[in-house]
Amino acid sequence: MAPMLQDEGSSSVTSSPLQLFSMMSLSPNLGSPYPFVRELKSEERGLYLIHLLLTCANHVAAGSLENANIALEQISQLASPDGDTMQRIAAYFTEALADRILKAWPGLHKALNSTKLTLVSEEILVQKLFFELFPFMKVAFVLTNQAIVEAMEGEKMVHIIDLNAAEPAQWIALIQVLSARPEGPPHLRITGVHQQREVLEQMAFKLTEEAEKLDIPFQFNPVVSKLDNLDFEKLRVKTGEALAISSVLQLHSLLASDDELLRKKSPLAPKNLNGIHLPGVPQINQSTLGELLEKDLVNGHSRSPDSATSSPQSLSASAKMDGFFNALWGLTPKLMVITEQDSNHNGSTLMERLLEALYSYAALFDCLESTVPRTLERLKLEKMLFGEEIKNIIACEGAERKERHEKLEKWVQRLDLAGFGNLPLSYYGMLQAGRLLQGYGSDGYKIKEENGCVVICWQDRALFSVSAWRCRK
Amino acid sequence: MMSGESFSVASSIGGFGQEVQNTNPNPNPAAKKKRNLPGTPDPDAEVIALSPKTLMATNRFVCEICNKGFQRDQNLQLHRRGHNLPWKLRQRTNKEVRKKVYICPEKTCVHHDPSRALGDLTGIKKHFSRKHGEKKWKCEKCSKKYAVQSDWKAHSKTCGTREYKCDCGTLFSRKDSFITHRAFCDALADESARLTSLAAANNLNFGNDSMNDTVINPQPGLPLGASQFGSGFRPELSGMAINGNSLGVDQQKPRLSLWLNQANSQLNPTDMMGNSHLYASSSSTAFPEMMQAVSGNLFGSSSMPNFGNFNNQQFQGFDKSVSTSTNASLSLSALPHEMKEEGNKGNLVETLSSLYSDSQKKQSKPSMPMSATALLQKAAQMGSTTSNPSSIFGNSFGVMSSSSSNTTTSFNTVNQNRNELHQALQNSKQQAAENFTASGSVDGMLRSSNLSSLTTSTNSFDQLMMQTSGKQSDPVALKNHPGSNAIENSLTRDFLGMGGRESQRPFLAQELAKFASMSSAMGLSQFTGNH
Repeated sequence: MAPMLQDEGSSSVTSSPLQLFSMMSLSPNLGSPYPFVRELKSEERGLYLIHLLLTCANHVAAGSLENANIALEQISQLASPDGDTMQRIAAYFTEALADRILKAWPGLHKALNSTKLTLVSEEILVQKLFFELFPFMKVAFVLTNQAIVEAMEGEKMVHIIDLNAAEPAQWIALIQVLSARPEGPPHLRITGVHQQREVLEQMAFKLTEEAEKLDIPFQFNPVVSKLDNLDFEKLRVKTGEALAISSVLQLHSLLASDDELLRKKSPLAPKNLNGIHLPGVPQINQSTLGELLEKDLVNGHSRSPDSATSSPQSLSASAKMDGFFNALWGLTPKLMVITEQDSNHNGSTLMERLLEALYSYAALFDCLESTVPRTLERLKLEKMLFGEEIKNIIACEGAERKERHEKLEKWVQRLDLAGFGNLPLSYYGMLQAGRLLQGYGSDGYKIKEENGCVVICWQDRALFSVSAWRCRK
Repeated sequence: MMSGESFSVASSIGGFGQEVQNTNPNPNPAAKKKRNLPGTPDPDAEVIALSPKTLMATNRFVCEICNKGFQRDQNLQLHRRGHNLPWKLRQRTNKEVRKKVYICPEKTCVHHDPSRALGDLTGIKKHFSRKHGEKKWKCEKCSKKYAVQSDWKAHSKTCGTREYKCDCGTLFSRKDSFITHRAFCDALADESARLTSLAAANNLNFGNDSMNDTVINPQPGLPLGASQFGSGFRPELSGMAINGNSLGVDQQKPRLSLWLNQANSQLNPTDMMGNSHLYASSSSTAFPEMMQAVSGNLFGSSSMPNFGNFNNQQFQGFDKSVSTSTNASLSLSALPHEMKEEGNKGNLVETLSSLYSDSQKKQSKPSMPMSATALLQKAAQMGSTTSNPSSIFGNSFGVMSSSSSNTTTSFNTVNQNRNELHQALQNSKQQAAENFTASGSVDGMLRSSNLSSLTTSTNSFDQLMMQTSGKQSDPVALKNHPGSNAIENSLTRDFLGMGGRESQRPFLAQELAKFASMSSAMGLSQFTGNH
């Protein structure tokens, strides 16, 4: 798939670089003394790639696989995971489209994927790379920690639930800040949820070590579980302690459902997974959600009416998400901080999702291209994290499609309906986050505030959002 | 442990308060006791209301012989043994222990409500002292007062152990107040003002133009005299950012050394900002180095790839040296070396970029590979400015769909494919698109997606199909032309609607839009004229 175009330009003989496309098949490997010609070709190649991608996607959406095949063939001559930004993006998108096509033959698809090796160590490495090569996680951690510190002022018993306990850095920072409190550190408990035991063990080790160093009463409780079937009892929330929940890029997978089935169903009653009857549960939640599903989302419940009118569809129903929110609400946390991708990758049609994803991942890949050299690490990150996300968004449907990113306004609506009230993030937290981004060495990163929530952007493209919530009675 | 006197619900007891739970600060997670949800006491727990006197009382149990006071009855009993007095240790009752929750006697308090009762006796005692009690304990160092002795003890352990001093001389005990102060401190404002004036003189783009009001960008620190990183960074950062003018490299050198020196002198682990420095201790890779040798990473991560991509052919050696330095953890000592290199190459860069810009006729975009986002936007714009947007999409679409077959593809195939797509459109169209104004090409799809981020693109195809209906003849003529040998050639040529051109002019970016607007007839004739 190595493009012949990559390391050549036109000689002065041929007039238009476009002719190169035709010359390619005839006389490969013409050297180019002029880099600007390479840039030109990169641009037009990029444009052509976009065009081909969209064409191919249309064919796939239409079901005309023959034509899609032709387009794929052409793209594969130009795209490459090693090339420039557009080439890389095209490579992953076409792989996703091809995967989607292949799903039409389930037997074939399964057979081709049957011996795929997924090394846990590689997955862990990729998460680490995402944390290090980008500032997004760090900003989210800084904002989360600041919100926690502020909410927990004066509390002596603090319990934090981390729905994806993979990166110890966040909590080490929090432990350090808490230990320096004027009223002294609280008794701190952290419950970490993760699918892999090794990750939790590592986390426990690092955190306990840090807490011992600073002489803070500390406890780490590991919970090995997926979020789908999380048993809230295992979280061991106790009376008298102040609870904070941190969710970083985890909630969107709970939106996955067999869409066709649930489209017409009314929402399930809010379940109290702990079996305890809460005196203050607002019964209005159920009926409101139901009403909203039947008509468009333009009523007083929406926090930001502008956003409601701009989205033509109402919130897609997800019983799993509702159930999860209810369970969280039932724990009556003092604070819940949610970090999510801020892009709409949950459209109902392929083209919608593809177009949105093109813009989002273009920004992410651009960001990498601008800030990180073309190393193997970066390639791994692109392939194993972004490539997989793209594949999921494009090729999967129904319950299989887990990467259901939604825009911040949608999350705000969901949380509002679930009985949570927004807690604006403090100015001081944003100041810290801004400084962190400054220190990252590129002025493409931007941070902006939106109704009390923070959105992290790359060159004006919103990528991630952080918001804080409290339980509303 | 339970006394004989029973505690009635919500009655005010003038006598005894008792502890039913062990106030272990480190509750064992494997505790067998079932715990309630926080803030919501067990509905059938016994609510106990103790009087303020009871809550505040210490040493309620007094030995009659020596008048020694004890907090717990059991301790008193054990003490009585020493006097050879009769003593009785109460056992835990065998029957089910009823959970007790406590409410605060203060009427105005939140916890006065039984539904907000606290489950711990010690907890309610401390709460009452803190909120409604007198602060009897005072820290010696900072004279901060506390009502609860344990609070006071905890404080005095850390009081004065960590202090922060701003350059202006003010002392802080709290890190957050220290950092907030520095943001607004005048002393720092002077230093940063000096740097700002240097930056302004060099006409650097701060990249703030595009920001709207709600953006809290890292900028505000600068005029207000932000932390050393903020003030030091901004001018240099924007100069070396990808979108900056590469011609500015030469000018940056002297200022960078100045800034580096300043950063060196100010760099101090305890001055690190808020949470961010705390990451330094955790991860073992480049990030801590980045925070501590932040200028180094700046060089490594942002500017290097820039130059590497741009000058790939000419500056092989430079590229290599750059890439190796980015991988290793950068130390400040390595920087002057790199800077010198850049200075040397700066001239070369200038001449090359001027060559580039000349030949490009001053392209509006910078002379480096366009970002994917920019490409997408460009593709989206390409259709909207032209009258025949379909020439791009329609021709190649028609051709591509038939390229599997031979040049002798009949008109029908094109029709077929169009119908296919049209049908697909009907099928896939599920909701009306809002605000759809694009003129209905591939580019229109991109634009609409960019604008509203939700509207479907299916409408565009409808419009597209209507437009291509007028162009049926073109693909046919194209394909049937004897001159078209390899379909691949015609395919690629038709993409932009132009064939080979006689002119020796290199391809210009702006001409892309022009080509898009060329009528297909023109495109065909050019194609005809070529091979």
